Amino acid sequence: MPLSTETTVAQRHRYSAYRLVFTLIFSFGIMYLDFNGKYLNTLRSYLSAAVYPVHVLVNTPKNLFSAISGNINKQEKLDLINQDIKKENIILKSKIQQIYKLESENKRLRALLDSKPEHQNELIFAEIVSINNDVNKHRIMINKGSRENVYSGDVVSDSKGIIGQIIRDHIFGSEVLLITDPEHAIPIEVARNGLRSIAIGVGNYDHIVLNYLPISADINKGDVLITSGLGGKYPEGYPVATVESIANLTGEPFLEIEAKPFAELQNINEVWVIKQSITQPFNIE
Amino acid sequence: MISSSLLVIPLPDNFAFIRVPWLPLSVIFFSIMTPSFFGILSAWFIGFVADLLQGDILGQNAVALSVLAYISYRFHLQIRVFPIWQMMIVILLLLSLNELILLWVQGISGQIFFNYTRWIAIVIGALIWPIFMTLLLNIKSKVDW
Repeated sequence: MPLSTETTVAQRHRYSAYRLVFTLIFSFGIMYLDFNGKYLNTLRSYLSAAVYPVHVLVNTPKNLFSAISGNINKQEKLDLINQDIKKENIILKSKIQQIYKLESENKRLRALLDSKPEHQNELIFAEIVSINNDVNKHRIMINKGSRENVYSGDVVSDSKGIIGQIIRDHIFGSEVLLITDPEHAIPIEVARNGLRSIAIGVGNYDHIVLNYLPISADINKGDVLITSGLGGKYPEGYPVATVESIANLTGEPFLEIEAKPFAELQNINEVWVIKQSITQPFNIE
Repeated sequence: MISSSLLVIPLPDNFAFIRVPWLPLSVIFFSIMTPSFFGILSAWFIGFVADLLQGDILGQNAVALSVLAYISYRFHLQIRVFPIWQMMIVILLLLSLNELILLWVQGISGQIFFNYTRWIAIVIGALIWPIFMTLLLNIKSKVDW
């Protein structure tokens, strides 16, 4: 018998059990909706926009620290870095001169063949806000979202190669799935001979894997893998990885191929979001 | 108290490189020590926010943390007076339960990853519990009375 008007321990336990059952049912309902029907995507994007400041807040000290420590360099080191950058600049500028010639030649040839005109892809510069620390989830958040016309499905790339694809977007930022995430697959072709395959991530930042290529496939170590554009998600021709090792285990019908991505996935700082513009209608005669 | 729980959310989500499961530890601590403020619903809310921040299936962490909060609350009077080694065993069990629930949900949704580092994180979490508890109790005594 309770000595006061407060609830007894047994009653409190019962109330908390009711709360537990309620939260269990509610959570399972939410999980089911989110997983099966994807109904919650809009809600999720609004809520993600609301908690976006948390991402920024937590990563600001880390970013500030690396920015400050990057700026405090000895004078000699700065001079060396300066010289390297100038050399690289000269090399890149001379390469650009060749590009003008190649572009005009390309346009002429395409016009001769009456083929589909090339897309002009627009590049949007973005910075990384936060990195997902889970070992099995290779995702990053960038600071461009639907406010800057960046939507899920857009491709993200580094200065060296493709990084991944945007899977979720909200107003202020978006989440990028890296090519090394175990849930990611990118259609590629070998630049040398056009052999097509799909490269999947295995959760390792150092390599991605090509499955299901038969032993007789013409692929060598050092081959460059570029996007094939099949599937419509990734624009074609962008560099992805280079073949690192080819293993042919006895008894296995397929080769085990590992490729090292061009982009430095562990040291990403600035990335480009590639917006594919709408192409002109295809003329069939 | 509410402000300290709000502070706890960013910390557990992004200091994971030390491999300590801050979030379940904090939920257990607050359910044991301040059951009048922090209950199952607060644990659910924190789990939901954690799901949003981590990009997981919505509700995964929420379910695990509410179960943790319920068990911690049910036995909080007894756990509070346990000797430290017994408390660490209880923490180990609770953290394993948390991991189990998360693995269940992820297994059903197809994201199966077996990583031994998760179990190491549980053990480290149990080991770090005494330090964690005394630290938070110190802060609590300075803030509360």
